[in-house]
Formats: sequence, C-alpha cells, structure tokens
Amino acid sequence: MNRKILGFLPFLIFVLLCVFLYQGLFGNPRELQTGRLGQTMPSFNLPDLMDENKRWTEKELLGEVYLMNVWGTWCPTCIAELGYLTKLREQGVKIVGLYYEQAYDPDFGDHFDINALREEVDTMLSRAGNPYQFNILDLERSLALDLGVSGAPETFLVDKEGTILLHHTGDINQRVWRNKFLPALEELQP
Amino acid sequence: MIPEIGYFALVLAMALSLLLCIFPLWGAYTGNLRLMRAAPSLALGQCLFVLFSFGILIYITLTDDFTVAYVAHHSSSTLPWYYKVTSTWGGHEGAILLWLVMQSSWTALVALMSKSLPWVLRARVLGVLGFLGVGFMLYTLWMSSPFERLLPYFPVEGRDLNPLLQDPGMIIHPPLLYMGYVGLSVSFSFAIAALLTGKLDNTWAKWSRPWTMVAWAFLTLGITIGSWWAYAELGWGGWWFWDPVENASLMPWLVATALLHSLAVTEKRGVFKSWTVLLAIAAFSLCLLGTFIVRSGIIVSVHAFATDPDRGLYILSFLAVVVGGSLALYAARVSQVHSEGRYRFASREVALWLNNIFLVVATLIVLLGTLLPMIHKELGLGSISIGVPFFNQMFAILIVPFALLLGIAPMLRWKQNTLSPLAKKWLVNVVLSLVATAAWLFSSYEQVSVLTFMATALAVWIVFSTIADLLQKVSLQTSISEGFKRLGLSYWAMVLGHVGLAFVIASVTLTSAYSVERAVAMKPGDIATLNEYQYRFDGVKEIRGPNYSGHAGVVTVLKNDEFVTELYAEKRLYDIGMQFMTEAAIDDGFFRDLYLALGEQMSQGAWSLRIYHKPYVRWMWLGGILISLAGFVVLADKRYRRRVKKEAQV
Amino acid sequence: MKIRHVMLLVMILLLSATVANAAEDKYEFKNAERAQTFKELTLELRCPKCQNQNIADSDAVVAKDLRDKVVALVQEGNSKQEVIDYMIDRYGYFVHYQPPVTPATIILWVLPVVIVVLGFGFIVFRQKKASKKQQWSAADDERLEQLIAQYQRKERQQ
Repeated sequence: MNRKILGFLPFLIFVLLCVFLYQGLFGNPRELQTGRLGQTMPSFNLPDLMDENKRWTEKELLGEVYLMNVWGTWCPTCIAELGYLTKLREQGVKIVGLYYEQAYDPDFGDHFDINALREEVDTMLSRAGNPYQFNILDLERSLALDLGVSGAPETFLVDKEGTILLHHTGDINQRVWRNKFLPALEELQP
Repeated sequence: MIPEIGYFALVLAMALSLLLCIFPLWGAYTGNLRLMRAAPSLALGQCLFVLFSFGILIYITLTDDFTVAYVAHHSSSTLPWYYKVTSTWGGHEGAILLWLVMQSSWTALVALMSKSLPWVLRARVLGVLGFLGVGFMLYTLWMSSPFERLLPYFPVEGRDLNPLLQDPGMIIHPPLLYMGYVGLSVSFSFAIAALLTGKLDNTWAKWSRPWTMVAWAFLTLGITIGSWWAYAELGWGGWWFWDPVENASLMPWLVATALLHSLAVTEKRGVFKSWTVLLAIAAFSLCLLGTFIVRSGIIVSVHAFATDPDRGLYILSFLAVVVGGSLALYAARVSQVHSEGRYRFASREVALWLNNIFLVVATLIVLLGTLLPMIHKELGLGSISIGVPFFNQMFAILIVPFALLLGIAPMLRWKQNTLSPLAKKWLVNVVLSLVATAAWLFSSYEQVSVLTFMATALAVWIVFSTIADLLQKVSLQTSISEGFKRLGLSYWAMVLGHVGLAFVIASVTLTSAYSVERAVAMKPGDIATLNEYQYRFDGVKEIRGPNYSGHAGVVTVLKNDEFVTELYAEKRLYDIGMQFMTEAAIDDGFFRDLYLALGEQMSQGAWSLRIYHKPYVRWMWLGGILISLAGFVVLADKRYRRRVKKEAQV
Repeated sequence: MKIRHVMLLVMILLLSATVANAAEDKYEFKNAERAQTFKELTLELRCPKCQNQNIADSDAVVAKDLRDKVVALVQEGNSKQEVIDYMIDRYGYFVHYQPPVTPATIILWVLPVVIVVLGFGFIVFRQKKASKKQQWSAADDERLEQLIAQYQRKERQQ
C-alpha cells in the first residue's frame, strides 16, 4: 500500500508542475514592478524640459492624482502611445512627462544639444498629440533610477499624497487602462 | 518546388513513424511477431526521409533560396558556406528539424544494433521511439516547418545568421547537445519497454547502459563546448551563467550521471530497480522540460529564441502526454518490483545510492532555481531573480560531501566492507592531498583563502584517491602491464570521469579565486600591467570580413619586456543586422588564459579595453572532455558487447 | 603642508612622468577591497531591461546607469549589502540574483536538505532490512580475505 502511494508521488508532482507551466505560458516574464510601490514619490529637483529656469520638485505635484509617464522621442512605443494618452488627458487625467534621454552620457557628454531636443519634442507632440501638463527633464536619469525605471515607456500612478500606487512597463492602451489603471483609480474614489 | 519536396519527405517520415509506433506496440501486445518484425525497416525508412528532408534544407540554404522564410530569416548570400550550413540549425524551425534528424538516426541505430534483443522488447523500444518521433514530426509539420515560403513577396537578401552564432563553437554545440538529449530518449524507451513488459530485471539495465553512456557522453561534450563558446564569443570572459538555457542542459546531465551510476548497481547487483527506471524517465523528461522552457518563452533567458504561446502549448501537451503517461505507467507497475540484494552500510551499493542522492539534490536545486521565479510571479508575489550567487553557494556546499564520497567510493566493494584497512588508506590520501595542495597553492599565490584551499584540496583528493585505487588494483596482478589490461574499460571510464571532474573542480575554484581583470582606457603606446604581463596598446586597425567590418585593437603582450604574443581584439559591425559584436582575443595556455575585449572608442584616440587574466580556465573544458571520454571508452569495450550478446542468446 | 607630503607629491609626479603612458583604469577605487566589492556587485546585480544579464556585461543604458551608481555608492564607502539594499529599494528583488528568504522561497533551501535527510534515512532503513537475514562476522571476513588471496595466487601461477 505504502509503495503504491510512493509510486504515484512522481506523477502527482509532475501534474502540479504542469499546472504552473501552463499558467506560465500566459504570463509575461519581462513585466517588472518597481520597489517603490506603496511608497511616496522620491524627492527630486529637476528642470522643466522646455524651460531650464523652471524647476520641479515632488512637493509641487502633491494634491492631485496623476500619471507620470516616462518617455523619449527615441522610443517608438512611446510615440505610439501618445495618441491614447492624449485621449486620457481629454478625459481629465493629469499626465506628467518624465523625459528620459537615452543619448546623454556624462562620460561623452559634450555633444548634447538641448535646443535640438526641444524642437524635436515640439514637432513630435504637435504631430502625435500632447498628453502632458508639462515635462520634467531627467537628463542624468537620476529620478528614473530612484523610481526603478529600466527604460521607456513606463508609467506610474501617483495619488494625492504622493504615494506610488501602480507601475506599468510597456505602453498604455485601452486594455491596460481598463484592467489595470481604472480599478486602481476606482479604489481611490469610493 | 524543392522546399515542398522537403516538406513532403517529412510527411512521409511521419507516416512511417506512426506505423513504427503502432505496429510493433500492437504486435507486442497481441504477440503478433509479423507486426513486430516490421519495426526495424520502418525505423530505417523514416530515418532516410528525415535525412533527405534535412539535406534539402541544407541545399536551399546553400543556394540562397530566400523565397523560403527560414532561409530569408537566418541566412544571407554573403554568409560563408560553413555558416550557411550552421544556419540550418541556427533558428527555431531548423533546430527542431536537427532534433528530428538526431531522433530518427538514433531510432535507426537502435533498430540496427538491437538484433540480439528479444523481439517483444525490441519492438516495444522501437515503438516508443516511433511515438516520440511522431510527436516531434507533427510539431514540425504543423507549427514549425522550415520550408514555409514567403510568396509572392520575398526579399532579395536574407537577414543573416545572428552574429553570436557565427562561431565554430556554434557549428558543433547544438548537434552534440541534441545527440545527448535525443540519446537519452533511447534510455527512456528501454525503461518504458521494460515497464510495459513488466520485467524490471537487470537485463534491461544491461542493454540500456551502453546507450545511456554514449548519450551522456554527447551531452557532456555538448555542454562543455557550449561553455567554451560562451567564453569565447560573449566577450566578458564568463563560462557559466546559470541561465535557464544552460540549466535546461545541466538538469538532464545531472540525472543522466545519476542514472549511469544507478544502472551499474541495477545491472551488477539487481537492486535499486524501480529507482533506476524512474531516473531513466526523469532524464529524458528533463530534456523535454528544458526544450519547453527554452522554446516557450515562459522564462527570461539570454537566448532570445523565437517564442510563441501556441508552440509552447503544443510542447507542453506533448510533455504532459509523454511524461505524465510514463509516470502513470511507472506508478502502476512499480509496486510489483522487489529488490532482493543484500548489502551492508559500508558497501558500494550505499556509496552509489549516496551519489544518486547528491546528484538528484543538485538537479532539484537547478530545477527549483530555474522555475521558482516564474511560479513566484504567478502566485502574485512579484518578480525575483535566482542566479549566480544562489547556485554557486548551493553547489559549493553540495560538492564537498560529493567529492569526499567520490574519493572513497571506488575502493568500496559490493555488499560489504570492513572499513579499518580502508580508513588507513584514506587517512594517507587526505594528508597527501592537503600537503600537495598546500605546496601547489602557496608556491603560486600570495594569498590563499580557506575556501579556495579546501576546494582545491577536494580536487586533489579525487585525483589521489583515484590513482591510489588504480595502483592498488594493478598491484594485485602479476605484472603491471597485465594489471592495466585486466582492469577493463569500464574501470578506465570511471578513472577518466572522476579525474575529469577533479579538473573541473580545480579550474572553477582557481579561476574564480584568482582571475583578475582591468577595465582601462588606452591610447596608442599606453601600457597596462596585470599580474606579470604588460599589455601595450598599439592602436586600432580597420578590418573587413566576408559579412562584417570593424576595428581590431592591436595589443602586444610582454612579460619582463620580452615579447609574448600579439593579440587582435575585434569589434565587428555585421553588414546586414547592423549589430555590434565583440570578438575577444584570447591567448590560451595550459595554466592561464589572457583574454582581451575591445570596448568603445573614447575621446582623444583612446579606446576602452577589458583585460582578463584567467588562471587554469582551460582545465574546465579539458575536464569536460575527459568526462565525456569516459562515455565513449565504454563504447569500445568489446568484452562488454560480446557478453551482452551471449547472454541474449541464452 | 608637511614636508613628507610634499616629498610624496614630488615622487608621484616623477613616477607619473617616467611611466606617463601607463593606462588609466576606468573606475578608480580607494583600495582593493572596494574594487573587489564593485566587481562582485556588478556580477550579482541584474540588468532590469535585458534578457538575462548582469550589469557587468550589458551595454543597455540602464545597466550603465546602475554601474555608475554602484561605483558612486562604493566610492562613498557603502558596504556591499548597503548597495544591494539601495538597488532593491528601487528595482525590487528582481535586481539581485540572490533570492530573498521569504515563506515562498524558503523551499529553495529546505527541500534539498529534506531530500538529503530522507535519502539517508531511506538507505539506513533499507540496508538494515536488507542485511537482516545475513549473519556476517569477523571470522567470515577473514575467510573471505583468504579466499581472495588464494584465488590471486592461483592466477599468478597460471
């Protein structure tokens, strides 16, 4: 009797393994979450993308629920999602851009041209739609590192108190918005 | 037209495989000898059609037929001919076809070499192999055909083979690995046939053993070459990263190693029968699982194979049928098996059992470490990574009892031993290894950490124990030459395997402990010193290959102002994919490798360079080759084969 | 400035003049330990953007940023664990190749131990059962040795 149960053990373990493997087929192993979830926005003091005299800090963002969208003109997926994000803005969602410049490297930093970048951003936004209230320029990607950003596009949902509620890697589309962001927003307004 | 012929040949091969699966199994079940007799010719037939189909794929690749999607995606007209051939297994569809080539060849080989087997067993073994063949052929034809066309809009030039794969290591690595994987399907088929027959005596172990040995030897060689390829081609001097793809090949290897040892016990002593069968099933199951992990994209790996949930689903279903079916069969049959051998604690049986435990635990660590990140995420617990620090730590702990046992075990006799005379020998060996290790390490290095010392001593201990046992066994005979002759090839195989492992342990230990590297920015004329070598950067020169261009950093290596060698560390830009590749320059040596990788261009004519000094790194692959030789040596054992035949006739 | 310092400075200048073309290291650290810490960290931290690479051998932008951050943190005198914690705070456990010990991951360490213990227990149990019927004594041992010796002698004479 004992032997019989023992003999079935490998089979049972295998069945269990198959269940996990099957589920794994429909997951995305590359989707990542920042370690900052549930914490408040890290402090920063960064210039506006369009005006280096204007500086933004995390305190100025308090009091309103907003999306922080990490993007760059070098990133095709970011451009692709601009349209949908603009729609969201029209629905009254506050979106703040965190401009992630990939080409800037302090080791070779001599050939970076901020004016060319501004022009490029302007053309891009006028063509594809401008979802942003304003853009924060994170040239050295320090806020990006503090937020656990690994690339673009990525989007954070932040509440009135500055707590990071959601982190989404990849583009935002209708499906993502409905399944991921709307439920979180609904929880905020009971 | 020609690609369609290739596809059609595969359809025919699958039809024959289907018959190969049905006829003999049905014949064995009903006792119909005529049905069983059909098996060998069916096996040969399906093999010929698969080989023909593979030949066609090679032909259309060599003739640059870019109307075929596979060729357009994985080859180009400027690719050298040998890499064109390689490209036939450089992509998913072709790799699966290569798997089929191996599968059908092994099946045909079994059909040819199993004449001495009783028909019932022979038919069942071939039937199971036929079933596996059908599974893979259906997959190829249905979802992964390399003969699909890009019509009517086809490109005039192909997308070229991934530059990473344009390396001699890549030419031989996959075929060797697949030889191993598929070879284990033969052990699997023997185990299933034995379960179906209900006779789990030591005869099946005897027949299965040489096949398992050879499959295992190929797998060993494949993994070794893979490690060397990563070292030479990836440009950061690493040789093992515990990547899921590497783990996928390591798991079957560990279980197959356990299986070899367990088969020896089952064959010679008739014990551990049900355990050995389970290992034979597990070894091949892990090959399938590895294929699933690699091809389905459920886990992030460095190797970006084409991933597709449909394909993943098919492989998973196939896996579920094959492994689930055989484990269910195992569960149903295993309670009837009884082992009758008697043995004491101090016996070779127990030593080999312990060997099996350690190897199974090692497999389990790799399996858990590979799959847990995925399961962790599925359970909604977030992403974790399991990699180098975890595996290194666990294997470092595990290797200690394993290596100690490895020195002791070969001296033990079957059934039982009195330990006191052996204990004296062990003590002598322990002291000798400690002294030798101390002499070796302290003469070469200023600092020796306790861990490094212990790990090196373990490797030395394995070598000394193996030699001591060898001398002891030789001295029992009248003369030394007589003694060497009488030892038998399977004993020599053991010596090779164990010494090979000692080389691997020593190499991993010393290269981890004493590798040094520098990341430097150099202008022409600059000298960087690392250990006893000076590296003078003589500037870069333009290079142009058949399908790439780039720069080569010229570095002169000096030792005490004397010329050692000149190295060219290349940075290539491949024409078609516009991909950058670092082609490291390696000055290889028995005791150390000098490894140079060219980085990016910095300001003012300076280039960044990474310089590595890696002691004893080559011993790793030397060890791997020695281990695999162990498997091939047994194949040469004529005495073994004759004995099998004789007993089969009785 | 003390005279000793001045002399040191002069020596350094002289030295650098004679071996003016000695290559510069990309990352400079105060001592060998810190350099070692940096090396270990780049091997153990995972590039979050890449397929499966550590930050030492990835060319991705984020890998370079992490590398530079690690350099800065190590140069500031942070310990290895402090740097790891810093990164985990931002990128989650994913960023470190050593998994955290949690109720869900504890199986990684427990299961191997359990299997070893069970395996040992099993063999002790089995061999006791298997050797029960056998009565073997030191006398038998001696007899066995004798037989072997006899056999070998015979072989030699042949």
